[in-house]
Amino acid sequence: MKTQSLFSSKEELSFLRPIISVRNLWKRFPGVEALKNVSLDIFSGEIHAILGENGAGKSTLLKILYGIYVPDKGDLFFEDRKVVITSPRDAVKNGLVLVSQVPQLIDSLTVAENLSLSLRQFGYMSNVKKVSKFLSEKEKEYGVRIDPDVEVWKLSYTQKQLVEILRALLLDAKVIAFDEATTLLPQTEKEKLYEFMKTFKDKGGTVLLVTHKIPEAMEVSDRVTVLRKGEVIGTVKTSETTIDQIRYMMFGERLTQLNSYGYGKLSSWEGSETLTVRNLWVKSDYGVYAVRGVSFSVRKGEILGVAGVAGNGQLELIQALAGLRRVERGIIKLRINGSEINVTNKGSTLIRRLGIGYIPDEPVKKGVSLDNTIEENVAVHPKLSKFLISWRNVKSLASNLVREFSIVTPSTSAKAKVLSGGNLMKVLVARELTVSKLALVAYNPTRGLDEVSAHYVRRLIVNKAVNEGMCAVIASEDLDEIMEMSDVIVVMNSGSIVGVFKSGASREEIERVMVS
Amino acid sequence: MRLIVVKRVKTSNLYYIGIPVLSILIGLVMSLLIFALIGVPPDLFIRGIASGFQSPQTLRYFALLVMLGVALTLSFRASIWNVGAEGQMIWGMIAGGYIALFVAAQSMYVSPGELANYASMPGVEVIDASPYAPVVSILLMDPSLGKLLMILFGMLAGGLWALIPAVLKAYLDIDEVATTLILNYVAYQLFSHIASYTLRGLSVQAKQFFRTDKANSALLFDLIRGTSVTIQDLVMAAVFFVAVILMYGYTTIGLRLKIIGSNPQLLRSVGVDERRYILLAMFLSGMLAGAAGVSIFASPGVGKLEKITNVVSPPTMNLGYIAILVSWLSMLDTRLVPIYAYIVASLFQGSSMLQLEINAISPGLLTGGALTYIPIGSILIVYVVLRILTDYSIRVRIR
Repeated sequence: MKTQSLFSSKEELSFLRPIISVRNLWKRFPGVEALKNVSLDIFSGEIHAILGENGAGKSTLLKILYGIYVPDKGDLFFEDRKVVITSPRDAVKNGLVLVSQVPQLIDSLTVAENLSLSLRQFGYMSNVKKVSKFLSEKEKEYGVRIDPDVEVWKLSYTQKQLVEILRALLLDAKVIAFDEATTLLPQTEKEKLYEFMKTFKDKGGTVLLVTHKIPEAMEVSDRVTVLRKGEVIGTVKTSETTIDQIRYMMFGERLTQLNSYGYGKLSSWEGSETLTVRNLWVKSDYGVYAVRGVSFSVRKGEILGVAGVAGNGQLELIQALAGLRRVERGIIKLRINGSEINVTNKGSTLIRRLGIGYIPDEPVKKGVSLDNTIEENVAVHPKLSKFLISWRNVKSLASNLVREFSIVTPSTSAKAKVLSGGNLMKVLVARELTVSKLALVAYNPTRGLDEVSAHYVRRLIVNKAVNEGMCAVIASEDLDEIMEMSDVIVVMNSGSIVGVFKSGASREEIERVMVS
Repeated sequence: MRLIVVKRVKTSNLYYIGIPVLSILIGLVMSLLIFALIGVPPDLFIRGIASGFQSPQTLRYFALLVMLGVALTLSFRASIWNVGAEGQMIWGMIAGGYIALFVAAQSMYVSPGELANYASMPGVEVIDASPYAPVVSILLMDPSLGKLLMILFGMLAGGLWALIPAVLKAYLDIDEVATTLILNYVAYQLFSHIASYTLRGLSVQAKQFFRTDKANSALLFDLIRGTSVTIQDLVMAAVFFVAVILMYGYTTIGLRLKIIGSNPQLLRSVGVDERRYILLAMFLSGMLAGAAGVSIFASPGVGKLEKITNVVSPPTMNLGYIAILVSWLSMLDTRLVPIYAYIVASLFQGSSMLQLEINAISPGLLTGGALTYIPIGSILIVYVVLRILTDYSIRVRIR
């Protein structure tokens, strides 16, 4: 595709001043050219989205801007001044503040204390009272409400993200960069964040939005820059482009692959329930019941989607099914070759050995070990290696998975930490699908994957259900994902199932039950 | 002015070899200066340290430090900071000693007139030839079996002692650094009590001092001529070393012990109870330390349990602490343990010899082993500083 310039004439540009300019940036990591001659202008007062699939170089670019990596070649300009940025501190001094997916806060301190800490770190006079005053000012300006005296551990994830944003305001940010910061937020909370971005822009701020979600970029941004394999494919005005065009820019020839991912799911498996749950009660980490009397059953080859606004007991349900959370009341039963086995509180090792795969929440944190090789990450599973490990078998299994899932890695004996986030996720999904002879339980199985990879993973799950009779219970915060895969959708609200839908039900109806 | 400390994302591969080697060199230069300050000429220092590398005594420390270094690396690699090898060795000594003194053999009084008869019987050894109350030790089983039992029970006892902090950590989340360290001193006290009362010997010497009888010499390990190391020491060190390497390389247990050090949550998510692996890591670590304890007891120069009069010089010779240095210098890589065990053993032996020599020239100077630990301590400090400097980038900003 031809790279296009949208600003044909110089006059159009004149009233826009680039606040950050990147010129001919190169960055190489062992085995991969992460950025290839990247040049880019971020204009003052715009919301600029940087789109790209996993491994396209978005994070690398942002980390260079924020002083975490140093480029091999190339120049950075902040407000036309050439700058050398070697630490986040330098970036902040130049007016750029990063809000990442993981809130960087100290749990045991209050909001105000956390904020005054970052001031101290950057050498301002500070005290907690001033911070409180500042917060109440910003509350009026942006409609962001956070109690300054509450300890951070009591905050929800969304609130923590808001504190991060407040910190950016407190540091006088001219540019706030969001690094996939909305990925983990539920839709309604995302909207709030978008509102914030727009308000910030109206007040003269600039937003750099790094994301792999096209709809998000389309919704809020003024301009979109697409990266693919470390190169800038093009920068377009959001109002003058279409989703299809952006998708073509992101995926190129692979897009045809994407379009052929029809499911046409026709499960021909007859028979009884593989997984039965009766009147399940499970407590959350805080000791209150998060799952309240849930019952359902899943048949061979069937996919049950668990929808709901995050935090309504889906996570606890999935963990209980995986044997990782105590069942207070109720029964979980499996049917294997005609005989029923009660696995309630029988330990997660047994459940895994019986052939249940599990994709945990926070998959990269909980499901893979970065300091170990891909092979070791495969061999660790109780179902994939006996007491004596046959490394030859593990290696061939791992190579198969790498091929089958098109995992980008130098080799199967490379440490997991050299992989990009999406590829790590693929390693995890690949391993768990291999062991899911009976069933797969998953929480956000495609979180962090780009559109093509996510489709691919979903198709693999669906195929395994259709062809091999695996059943699945999949909870996801992404309703589209659930609607795409499930035969039956249950909606959880406050720990109970409040609605059951067949595939093909209307989205509005499901959403209505979710929030009612 | 302010300091900015940031953990480095990537560290150089060179540091794997560079840090240990530099620590040793800089540590030695520092010790040389310290010794020079208190009046020890550098050439004496250098000769003393160098002699350690050729001393036949070094081999004994080497064997013990290999066992202990492998033991500690096992737990350190699982991110469990077992500094309790001392206590685990102590329990190895007690259990091994108990088997030697009461199970594999037994001491008893005989009438003075019968002593000569007993002395000529096979499997009987005169422990105390006192004319009034002579004591003999009678073997109750084949001595090889006896030695094997000593080792097995010593390992079991060391392992069980290590399980105390392991259970506290795994199930109550109590920091193991504090508990393992405290339990060392509990073990010393119990050891003293057991040696003085519970297992106190029959012989005149045992009654005079607070100690057990001497074990039947048939149950002690077999010295290699010209050294103070025994065949059993070397065999155990070699067996443990190879076994642990094989365990890491080819078993799921080894793999999980590695992974628990980098991401315990992964174990949990694939359905493995990571708490059991905390117990296992500590149990194995304690077992190997217990074996080292048996080695010390069964060394022909020891063969008894004796009240500890000064906790600064316990019968374990503080090797349980010194082994921490071995494990760290090896960068927690089991394969490197023998190399650094040899270097540290030589330095330890060299400084002990230096201490003797200094005491001989100027008796007034620091005594009681204080000088022995200067080189070891200096290296440890340099190591820690270098690790901080390489793991973190520290910058000074002047505003």
